Amino acid sequence: MKKLLALILSVMLVVSACGACASAEEEKVLNVFTWALYFDYDTLLAPFTEETGIKVNYDYFDSNEEMLMKLEAVDAGTYDVVLASDYILDIARKEGLLLELDKEKLPNWQNLNPAFLGQFYDPDDAYCMPYVAGTPLIIYDPEYVDFPITGYESLWDERLEDSVVMMDDARNVIGITLKTMGESFNTTDPEILAKAEEKLMQLKKNIRALDYNAPYATMISGEAIVGYMFNQQVLYTLQERPELEIVYPEEGLGFGIDCCVIPKNAPHPDNAHTFLNFLMRPENGAAIAEAQLMLSCNQAAEPYLSEEFTQNPVLNVPSELLESAEFIQDVGDAQTLYMDIWTRFKQY
Amino acid sequence: MKKDRRKWLCAPLYIWVTLFVALPLVYVAGVSLCKRDAVWGVTPEFTLENYRALFNPSYLRVFADSFRTSAVAAVISLLVGYPFAYAMAKSSPARRAALMVLVIVPFWTSALIRTYGWMLFLRANGPVNSLLKSLGLIRRPLKLLYTPGAVYLGYVYTMMPFAILPCFTALESMDWHAVEAARDLGARPARAFFTVTLPLTMGGVMSAVTLTLVPSMGIFFISDLLGGGKTVLIGNLIQNQILTARNTPMGAALSMAMLALTALILWIQRRTGGETRIL
Repeated sequence: MKKLLALILSVMLVVSACGACASAEEEKVLNVFTWALYFDYDTLLAPFTEETGIKVNYDYFDSNEEMLMKLEAVDAGTYDVVLASDYILDIARKEGLLLELDKEKLPNWQNLNPAFLGQFYDPDDAYCMPYVAGTPLIIYDPEYVDFPITGYESLWDERLEDSVVMMDDARNVIGITLKTMGESFNTTDPEILAKAEEKLMQLKKNIRALDYNAPYATMISGEAIVGYMFNQQVLYTLQERPELEIVYPEEGLGFGIDCCVIPKNAPHPDNAHTFLNFLMRPENGAAIAEAQLMLSCNQAAEPYLSEEFTQNPVLNVPSELLESAEFIQDVGDAQTLYMDIWTRFKQY
Repeated sequence: MKKDRRKWLCAPLYIWVTLFVALPLVYVAGVSLCKRDAVWGVTPEFTLENYRALFNPSYLRVFADSFRTSAVAAVISLLVGYPFAYAMAKSSPARRAALMVLVIVPFWTSALIRTYGWMLFLRANGPVNSLLKSLGLIRRPLKLLYTPGAVYLGYVYTMMPFAILPCFTALESMDWHAVEAARDLGARPARAFFTVTLPLTMGGVMSAVTLTLVPSMGIFFISDLLGGGKTVLIGNLIQNQILTARNTPMGAALSMAMLALTALILWIQRRTGGETRIL
């Protein structure tokens, strides 16, 4: 099926490519591929088109994995800019699906915060432009929680029976279990994982719901009184329920960076570079962080951020905590171990 | 000559079935015999490991859980749907048309959106809890959402039309003179029902069971949304294996197993003399 799809799409690609090969100049089109709303129309796409005359076509995916499947099916073509998460771009890079960035065409690269460069998914900064970063936090309702919540370990407390909402995600939830045991998010040791599974099973009775995309709805409605979710989702919750409180888990934070890349066979690589350079302008860096409610990866953008944004504890995690934060990385074959634990956890 | 040409009119059907049913199935079967690639995708190396892994206790439990959920939902749908269909068959044509519309109309909205509707309805701050609270019956909101009861409610609600329609067709096309004869010969209404009506509409009942049981085995968004994602059914498991675990071969093997299970159900239905008809 995938091959068939690839065939059909590549035929379409050849047809459309030949339309373009008559003119040396790239046509004024840019095809971007990311989650819905991740490139804000009003503050980014509309000004970009107005300035450059390049029309932006926006295509969506629901999950990183769906993105990679589609990118493979079109042989790293069709799309000019893809915006996705660190670990999946690591795989895309290893699979040779990405185009090396031409830094000559990206003078604004110097605006980026070096803290977000040289990471595991792209050690030489050859392929990925960091867009925004995020870290999951704990949020709770002080009206119903009458003991101090300090970290992941608190989620196991028996007073929280049937009251916790978390992301429906094997790596994150097994990850925080590992953290309470002093282990890494990315362990591949089957023995440590077996111990983590034992501990994880005790968490089940406290789980009210597992929800990846909208755990905030469960917190806002009062269905759950403690949540562990991505900081963007924490902010959605706080917008409706400002009386809730947040916790930086003492065992150490998880961390993720979403990056823009150019696929290897992108039809409009020049336009793609123009777009990336546009995104790295200081004022646009600030607009991105404010629209997405996530940490800015652009150092030069900091003076442009509103006070409301810079004073927000959810977005201003103390830097010493960020330094010790840990990425969730691809664990190769151990991924199946994690998934089996997750299946058993849900059945329990 | 003319006959020959007429045969060609069927060609699109055959091409369609070959391209979009047979070939993908062969592809899935082929993938299920390959190995997972450590980085991404599939390594074309023959293995039966994925089929052996199906007998892993936690996967067997997923199959058992899915079957149980679907079976309970099918039985409840039938217990509610049959009387509804009976009432429909017995009512005047105008009323019957109105009832039919009530059964069909929900199909105009996506099942996913209707499930979100149930979520809003059952929430801690939703209408049910607000009503009970304002009546002074409860102080703290009842936990209605994210419970097994909510999951069954969602399944029965979604599957109900598939139970009603075949029962209605069977009841409507049944020869009611047989029931009259039974009553004339002194059978009480209950006895006439169990010895005449029910056996005569058994085909419809079997269709209803199949039409509710088989599709509900593959649905997973209901247990995710109304059950709070705390259970794993076959649908979730296949999705997780392919997307999250990036174990496409295992997902393919699970799909083949699910196909085998549904084929078995259909075979049993055929053996018991049912034919699948909706209208």
